[in-house]
Amino acid sequence: MPPEEGHLSDQELVLAADGELNPRRDAEVRAHLAACWHCRTRLRGLEGAIADFVHLHSATLDPQVPPATGARALLKARLTENAAVSKTGARHAWFIPAPWPALVGLAMATLLIGYVAITKRGERAVPSQKLTPGAVRNVMKAEVCSANAEAFVVPVALQRQVFEEYGIRNAPANAYEVDYLITPELGGAADIRNLWPEPYSATVWNAHVKDELEYRLHQMVCEGQIDLATAQHDISTNWIAAYKKYFHREFPGGRRN
Amino acid sequence: MPEPDSVARWEMVAGGNTERAAVPTADEQEVIQLFDELRTRLLRYLLSFGLPAQDGEEVIQEVFLALFQHLQRGRSRQNLRGWVFRVAHNLGLKRRMARSREAEAPDAARPDPAENPEEQLLSSQRQKRLQAVLRALPEQDQWCLSLRAEGLRYREIAEVLGMSLAAVSTSLGRSLARFSRADGY
Repeated sequence: MPPEEGHLSDQELVLAADGELNPRRDAEVRAHLAACWHCRTRLRGLEGAIADFVHLHSATLDPQVPPATGARALLKARLTENAAVSKTGARHAWFIPAPWPALVGLAMATLLIGYVAITKRGERAVPSQKLTPGAVRNVMKAEVCSANAEAFVVPVALQRQVFEEYGIRNAPANAYEVDYLITPELGGAADIRNLWPEPYSATVWNAHVKDELEYRLHQMVCEGQIDLATAQHDISTNWIAAYKKYFHREFPGGRRN
Repeated sequence: MPEPDSVARWEMVAGGNTERAAVPTADEQEVIQLFDELRTRLLRYLLSFGLPAQDGEEVIQEVFLALFQHLQRGRSRQNLRGWVFRVAHNLGLKRRMARSREAEAPDAARPDPAENPEEQLLSSQRQKRLQAVLRALPEQDQWCLSLRAEGLRYREIAEVLGMSLAAVSTSLGRSLARFSRADGY
């Protein structure tokens, strides 16, 4: 509304309320407000409108904001991954020599041999279906989606059993993490059928990528996009296939299909 | 730029396996600190665009990964809050466009405007009336209001939306006057 002659504009009233006027103009506006009931009433009206907007903003948006914990953990994992990749990239970028096709072939062969060796030792990105088919607790969606979900720690004795089952009793303890196939956040049980030794070795399909999938599935279940049983089934059958299915990507962090 | 605390982020451990050292770099710490400070505000801002929460969360992940790259390349650290909101705004709009293209596909389910979840959350007639006033504002005015409600100063809003300072104050003055009239002040 254009101001009446001699009165303050809406814009100036808002600038004054928000402390955005320069000191000289601010003093003039304050002096006018002290003298003018009309402008002071309009200022109150604008303050009331600010309060209305803030209440509306919170009432419509706050209930849609999930807790930050999962997103924060995911970001941390991705940052660590990114930092490692950029470091490796920076260190080796200049090192690629001219006859690279032959070297790439050699590298692929080395990787293949490495993969076979690793698989033989029982280190694999996807656990054995026989030893680790997955096991769930008897929980409902509401419990899985409640904000105060408890933290699950695998008891040491159970961790030892898992190592024995996979025939890697003497492996260095810090080379593996005993991980849940179906994460407890999706109702997975602390049961030997749901635990496997996940290698820390830096494969593409590593624990951080699985964390990403777990977070996504949990979110989808709680938002009602898929049911809990489907999430449990898909992550326990082949979590890598599930990642590709739910992220529409062939590789972690790659472009969507 | 030297990175003193990231030199030893990978270390050899017994058994010949590499394990991640649990020491985040200064850049990682700064990104996480800003995430803690801004994540909820950013998500509310993105939700106010009409993006679903899951899309909003994905956009925020992209924003902070981009921020990390930005810091790693030694780019400017001036006004990172404004930077983060600007990138989130641009990515949010892109995501919303992609969503609306999907919704135009013949088989896709069209959301029923009467079933808008935001409206269901509003209990009183008064709130519904104010929501109608808000929806009737030009989108840029809605963005200005939301950014101001999330604590941005006029200069930051101008930077996020690529407007002049005067345009920001005109927009806020105009929108609040409409609200104020709608509520009979």
